Amino acid sequence: MSATGSRSGAPLPPTGWQTLGPFFPQALFRDGVDNDLRRRRAGAPPTARGVPIRLRGRVLEEGGGPCVNALVEAWQADAGGRFRHPLDPDWREADPDFLGWGRALTDAAGRYEFLSVLPGGYRDAAGPRAPHVNLAVLASGVMRRLVTTAFFPGFAAANAADPVLSALPDPALRARLVAKDEGEAEGARIFRLDLVLRGDPETETPFFLD
Amino acid sequence: MPDHPLPDCFPPYDEAGQPQVPIEGYAATARRNPARALFRRPHTRTELTGPLDPAAKLVPGEGNLAVPGPGRVALGQLIHISGRVLDEDGRPVRGAVLEIWQANAAGRYANPLDAARDAPLDPNFVGHGRVATDAEGRYGFFTVKPGAYPVPGGPGRWWRPPHVHVSVIGPSSLSRLVTQMYFPGDPLNPLDRILNALPDPAARERLIARQTDPAEVEGEWLAYRFTLVLRGRRATPPLP
Ligand SMILES: [Fe+2]
Repeated sequence: MSATGSRSGAPLPPTGWQTLGPFFPQALFRDGVDNDLRRRRAGAPPTARGVPIRLRGRVLEEGGGPCVNALVEAWQADAGGRFRHPLDPDWREADPDFLGWGRALTDAAGRYEFLSVLPGGYRDAAGPRAPHVNLAVLASGVMRRLVTTAFFPGFAAANAADPVLSALPDPALRARLVAKDEGEAEGARIFRLDLVLRGDPETETPFFLD
Repeated sequence: MPDHPLPDCFPPYDEAGQPQVPIEGYAATARRNPARALFRRPHTRTELTGPLDPAAKLVPGEGNLAVPGPGRVALGQLIHISGRVLDEDGRPVRGAVLEIWQANAAGRYANPLDAARDAPLDPNFVGHGRVATDAEGRYGFFTVKPGAYPVPGGPGRWWRPPHVHVSVIGPSSLSRLVTQMYFPGDPLNPLDRILNALPDPAARERLIARQTDPAEVEGEWLAYRFTLVLRGRRATPPLP
């Protein structure tokens, strides 16, 4: 069937997903650039606003083995809780030097790392959002991206009120999406969140319907 | 930033048009997809938005994978792949970042992780590229037709048909797409377990490119057209 030219007709079905496969080219990933959410453009300096953070962890499969050469993609609000996007009524106040998007390619141990700033919370129609970073995992064997959200320790009240975290029915699952505070290094606060794509009920990361 | 129709409509995917797991003979699908059901979440601003100008971060290149330099041409059938990126209303998605990667004509990836087979590398074929869509959502790549390759491991060995991996970063986080493009008429297509993970035959058909009438093709490149439809209606972004 033709997929073009039906501007006013029935919606076109979205193209089906397929796996990233095992061979995503390393050359399409620039470490330190693509995984730095603070830079609007390649070569631009990082934003000066906000608390610098490093959000890191491992992507693991059933049995605890690493997912190698997998993509983790991140998207978050700026330090003031705003997006430079017309869906944000306050987009004019968004940090003009902050992008908020990045992607990391996991290494041989399944490790990913993002450089960013601590996101701000904001009020949404669905409820008050706590500071958070949306994460998506693409890997061989993952046929459609797996999406989840990283929350931060030290925001207990905001986390308890967050409408996405509250979509998890069990406190143990909610706790699993709160990154671990690992102190400070290289001028940034360090947070860890391992992403267990499949595991026993006590370890598997909760993922959301996309 | 002008006002514009907002990407406010992201209905759930039709499962018949999306891959189902696990896939027999593809062990990673059993080890890397959650045992627990996915949780429904509200779509708040973070889910609905995305970077307006991803091409500023992921800088587009030439879009020619087959001619890496003067006098250097990759081995294989030279082809041109072009098409449009649309939203579910058929509106063009401009400024989307489109990346492709593929095996060479012998079925080998120029990736150190693909090293377990006899199929040769081609020094003139690196096998990946990145472009941004224009105002009409159009994109194009010059490349070679990839070879088939056997899936390693396990009993019940099977083959991947010639395919091109495609990644599209569009206007919303929810419109993200990673897929594979297949070639019309290949006898391996009906046997491919990854293509066949889509239950709906029409959805599988949409992953198969259409060959342009060779009589209309000028030059030395066989031409294929491949349309990509991103999830979401009224999702065309404004110019940043
Ligand atoms: Fe492949």
